[in-house]
Amino acid sequence: MITCENLRKSYPSGHGRREILKGISFSISKGERLAVLGRNGAGKTTLIKQIGGVELPDSGRIIRSMTNSWPIGFNGGFQGSLTGYDNARFIARIYGKTYAEMRDFVEDFTELGGALRQPVKTYSSGMRARLAFALSLGIEFDCYLIDEVILVGDQNFQRKCHVELFEKRADRAMIIVSHDMGTIRETCNRGMLIHEGRATIHEDVAEAIAAYDSL
Amino acid sequence: MSALAKGWDIQIRVIKALMLRELTTRFGRENIGFLWVMAEPLLFAVLVGILWRAMKGPFEFGVSVIAFTVSGYIPLVFFRSTIGRAVSSFTANGGLLYHRQIKILDLILVRFIVEFIGHLMAYLFIAVVLFAFDIFPVPYDLGFLVLGWLYYALFTLAITLVVAPLSEMSEVVEKFIPVTTYMMVPFSGAFYLVSSLYPAAAEVVLWSPPVHGMEMMRYGVFGPSIDPQFDFVYPLEFCLPTLVLGLVLCRMVRKRMVIE
Repeated sequence: MITCENLRKSYPSGHGRREILKGISFSISKGERLAVLGRNGAGKTTLIKQIGGVELPDSGRIIRSMTNSWPIGFNGGFQGSLTGYDNARFIARIYGKTYAEMRDFVEDFTELGGALRQPVKTYSSGMRARLAFALSLGIEFDCYLIDEVILVGDQNFQRKCHVELFEKRADRAMIIVSHDMGTIRETCNRGMLIHEGRATIHEDVAEAIAAYDSL
Repeated sequence: MSALAKGWDIQIRVIKALMLRELTTRFGRENIGFLWVMAEPLLFAVLVGILWRAMKGPFEFGVSVIAFTVSGYIPLVFFRSTIGRAVSSFTANGGLLYHRQIKILDLILVRFIVEFIGHLMAYLFIAVVLFAFDIFPVPYDLGFLVLGWLYYALFTLAITLVVAPLSEMSEVVEKFIPVTTYMMVPFSGAFYLVSSLYPAAAEVVLWSPPVHGMEMMRYGVFGPSIDPQFDFVYPLEFCLPTLVLGLVLCRMVRKRMVIE
């Protein structure tokens, strides 16, 4: 279970600070898939970063009794100056996995072929998404944090993502940020709407979508 | 596995991965690869050594001028390049902090270790080469040479730990670092023996912790004829509180860091 208690986070803005998260509390357990909804700039990515431990909240607590992935997105988690293979090697090393296993999985999942020998900064966003997913699925986590990159790319890749995430890992927890309501409706079983720094939890994801639509 | 052993395991894994990454990104895999880490200090030491040889003749303070210059200059280059690499190192490596097991302290430590090993290798290499030409002596006391390096390195690490977070907090600090490290030259002990200075000047430079480390190294290399001046306790009295201050600053900066 991951529990967040009264998270607050502000960023410098001009001479003062602007508070993005104004006290957010919730928890998520294994097998739950929580959608995070909200307008652009509402603080969805900010929240994911705090949960992932990339940034630290101003106040509040995050209690983790299961492992969580880093926020999987188009950026972050890998380094642009390194090649796809080098990134895979690095991730395998810091998470204590053998490189051979990681390499095979990445090659198979991304189907990027020779592009894996190029620096990641030369990748298109679709290619980045493939690599980001492959790297994080190559490590087993109890909770995956997915920021916007879900179901991007072509049909074939979408199907693969679906199998790996929602079929093979149906027992894991996921926190999913997306603006694609179709995907959210299909894949998530709870919803959180962030608006003006506060979160409302809906146990029925359709309700959350309705609340989002009425903003 | 106990929590402590597990933590240690992760720590070692992270440091190792970061080291390998640092070496590949900085030096690449082509030609001599990570041996490039020695290239810069070697080049510096050789050129400055030749310059001094030309200006001062073969001997200085009763020992070979080249050996004297090289033994002083490589640690100084180590200090300056380590500080230089610490500036803005958090922002440059922000992406790594997506992985929770990587702490900003690891980022500093890894760069420090790479510089330390590189400059130590350069020192060793040039000493062996010069020894073959009969310009560098067999160290009088290897223990003191190593101890001096450790004192020097401790000072460098302590300053690095303070400079790295400060450079993130303020751009003014960031801009002033190159000038300040240059001003450190007279306070590094690289180009003189404390015993050769006027007493008043000697008293002043002995306030500078790296001078003690340098004198220890010089004693280790050249022996008692150079009349080394150092204290074992004073550098620690300076470095340990600085180290603690650095850790506190790092913690403060981490809390406020915005990562893309």
